Amino acid sequence: MPLSPSENPPVTSPPRAGVRRRLILRAILAGLLGCAGAFGLDALLFRTKMYPQLLEPDSSTGLFELTLRRETKAQQQNGDNLVATLGDSRLGYSPKLADELAPKTGYVFRQAGLAGTDVRSWFYMLRDLDPTARRYRAILFALNDYDDEDGWGDPADDIRVLHYTINRLRLSDAIELARSFDSGALQWEAFRGSVLKGLVYQRDIQEFLSHPLKRIQAVRLNNEGYPTWTWNYEETPRNMVGLQIDWSTWQVVFPPGADQDQIDTVKAFLMYPVAPQTGRFAAYRRQWFGKIIDRYRGSPTKIVFVRLARGPIPRPGNLVRKKSSSIREFARRPNVLLMPEHAFDSLEHPEFYKDGMHLNREGAARFSTMLAEEVAKLLGPPSARGAAR
Amino acid sequence: MLFNTVQFFIFLAVVLLLFYASPRGLRKYILLAASYFFYACWNPKFILLLLTLTAIDYTAGIWIEKTPLGRRRKILLILSLTANLGFLGIFKYYNFVASNVSLLLGKPANSFWFDIVLPLGISFHTFQSMSYVIDVYRGEQAAIRNPTDYALFICFFPQLVAGPIVRARNFFHDLLQWQPPSPDDVSRGLFLLALGLTKKMAFADQFAKVANGYFANVAGHPGMVTAWTGVLAFGMQIYFDFSGYTDMAIGMALLLGFHFPVNFRRPYLAASITEFWHRWHISLSTWLRDYLYISLGGSRHGRWNTYRNLMLTMLLGGLWHGASWNFMIWGGYHGALLAVERAIRGDRRNREGWSWLYPLKWLLTMALVMVGWVFFRAADLHQSLIILGQMFAHPSGHTLFQPWHVGLIVVSLVLAIAEEKLEWFERLMEAPVWAYASALALMLFCLEIFGVIDAQIPFIYFQF
Repeated sequence: MPLSPSENPPVTSPPRAGVRRRLILRAILAGLLGCAGAFGLDALLFRTKMYPQLLEPDSSTGLFELTLRRETKAQQQNGDNLVATLGDSRLGYSPKLADELAPKTGYVFRQAGLAGTDVRSWFYMLRDLDPTARRYRAILFALNDYDDEDGWGDPADDIRVLHYTINRLRLSDAIELARSFDSGALQWEAFRGSVLKGLVYQRDIQEFLSHPLKRIQAVRLNNEGYPTWTWNYEETPRNMVGLQIDWSTWQVVFPPGADQDQIDTVKAFLMYPVAPQTGRFAAYRRQWFGKIIDRYRGSPTKIVFVRLARGPIPRPGNLVRKKSSSIREFARRPNVLLMPEHAFDSLEHPEFYKDGMHLNREGAARFSTMLAEEVAKLLGPPSARGAAR
Repeated sequence: MLFNTVQFFIFLAVVLLLFYASPRGLRKYILLAASYFFYACWNPKFILLLLTLTAIDYTAGIWIEKTPLGRRRKILLILSLTANLGFLGIFKYYNFVASNVSLLLGKPANSFWFDIVLPLGISFHTFQSMSYVIDVYRGEQAAIRNPTDYALFICFFPQLVAGPIVRARNFFHDLLQWQPPSPDDVSRGLFLLALGLTKKMAFADQFAKVANGYFANVAGHPGMVTAWTGVLAFGMQIYFDFSGYTDMAIGMALLLGFHFPVNFRRPYLAASITEFWHRWHISLSTWLRDYLYISLGGSRHGRWNTYRNLMLTMLLGGLWHGASWNFMIWGGYHGALLAVERAIRGDRRNREGWSWLYPLKWLLTMALVMVGWVFFRAADLHQSLIILGQMFAHPSGHTLFQPWHVGLIVVSLVLAIAEEKLEWFERLMEAPVWAYASALALMLFCLEIFGVIDAQIPFIYFQF
């Protein structure tokens, strides 16, 4: 069958068409089976416990998994009046200190938040932590602001969520998670990562293959120690005393001996230039908090929003004109509660902060107590079935 | 549109679909249009250059065939070769020559420079086109009358930008007597596509990260061990990169019913430089042998002329890769090594295969090849000398490889030895479906966990 019939004629006759077609289909089938096999291998290793139990404990996925495991276990050890808290690194409180008030408040606090996470990660965390959506008396979300202020980055395009939650993602999440990103490239990255988890685990696997024994030891150590280390964790006592900000001239005086981290956090969290208010942040919060709240519709679990103290020196409110408050909108729903916005204003002093955005030991201790008391006030008396066991 | 992108695979799927869904008479036009589209994705302006070269050699072929043997026929050949080499010279070598002339005249290197963009794959399609004209001149190939056929020979997308350099008689045999791919072709094609992609993304690109880090900052990576591992990383990168590309090209061609020549035959198992060149970039080395070395007289006129011919062939082979002194030195270095081997071996044929001396010879060959890669990869002569200085200094420094990099090298070495001894690839093609599918699955899984997905490191030979 020449492609160019004007030239030399064919010298060989083709084999019988039926046989040939069958053999070609067999070859294509083998190719497809190969692809299916690769997918099966991925599923076998990464969608079972086989590889996830060997994840680097000090990675985003590893910490997410350790936290989830710790909190799942804690559900069995505590009574019905559990309050799960979710937030990022700014939710600096000690459940140990908050729980010292348990005899008085009746509530046991559990910290399921993780540095670097946001509401999208919390959705996947809660889905596996509380599959019936009835385990907790309240789920508390710690936020920087009830109003929606757009930053310079697009919150929907934070790919870290894929790395935190990868072990919790199901095949059915692939499209929804991908679509939650605005950038096409990130949509693709999220989609393929959700389908083929090995792509997301790449670096973890390569490091594991380099030092397998070391990894196994680290995993064992963390599995045993993580709940205790985190329970007993104490923040640094260093503070930001001496920090001064003149908002009229945009001048800052750093505490004597301030380190780079302290300087950077002040600049990033307090002294940042106002970004154009596009409404992206509000849309993002509406989408993901909306999903969480919908999940708890009709559940006895309350959704509580808490506005954290705004920093060692709060930014003046007049720097930006915020156009909406998705959180206040949610507060109109039946099982959503808003903690008074200024409940923690008394912590907004340099002596309670270790840097420009995080509480120090003293700040965290005070906040823990205050949080426990405020939550108890907001939720009312605990259920009759008892608080901490 | 790189071969290792999603866009390319969509393009390939569309081409395959259109190709097989169309009436046979239309298929070559589909391939031609697809090939020009593929080239235009890089830079549409250079389609004109491609068309010009195609037109020149298409016409030259017909004229040469019509002209009886003699002076006129030779002049036609020379005119065609001049046009080809002229374009190549202007686009690839002008700035190199100009900067050397400037330096000789004591002027800044860029005094006579032009802002020239090197057309993608010009070295490959020019050589391919030249071989056709020479074959017609020698009477070994009938001139092609159909311009579409000839244009497709020059711009066929699987091998347009980085080969393998396909001989006219092979290509036109497939085109003019086109048969749908056999089941074996389909199996091989699919497997080679996956194998090539794995070689490129899981092996070459991983080693590229190490090599690029080293060569970008040689001063920051002192020490003998560091230098050797940096250079070895590049040696691994270039092999997996180029042979991966070739596997994909051969695989795609098979799926379209074309058969390209083998371009690599486990070159890093070679136990001599001669053997290395029998295994490395075979389509170029045979081109150089058939159209340059033999034309220069080959080994027919005594020892010293043979050495000179080897040297000249390799020097020009080096220069073919790029317009720089480093490529010249790389070519000259290999030419010298080939000449030395020839002097030691005499007229005896180079024997491949196992002997008790094999490990030693292999190690020496690998070391010599790696030394050559320094010139190939380094930014300039100065950097090459610094690296060589480090490689042969007293032992110091640290390895740039992670243990899993070493694992990749060991696995690929084992697979190469197994292929050499057991021909697993051939056996796999004849194996039951489950065995083929399992091998493919393992390879794709390897691609998943080792593939460099987002960096899109270009194929090294695209720059030539």
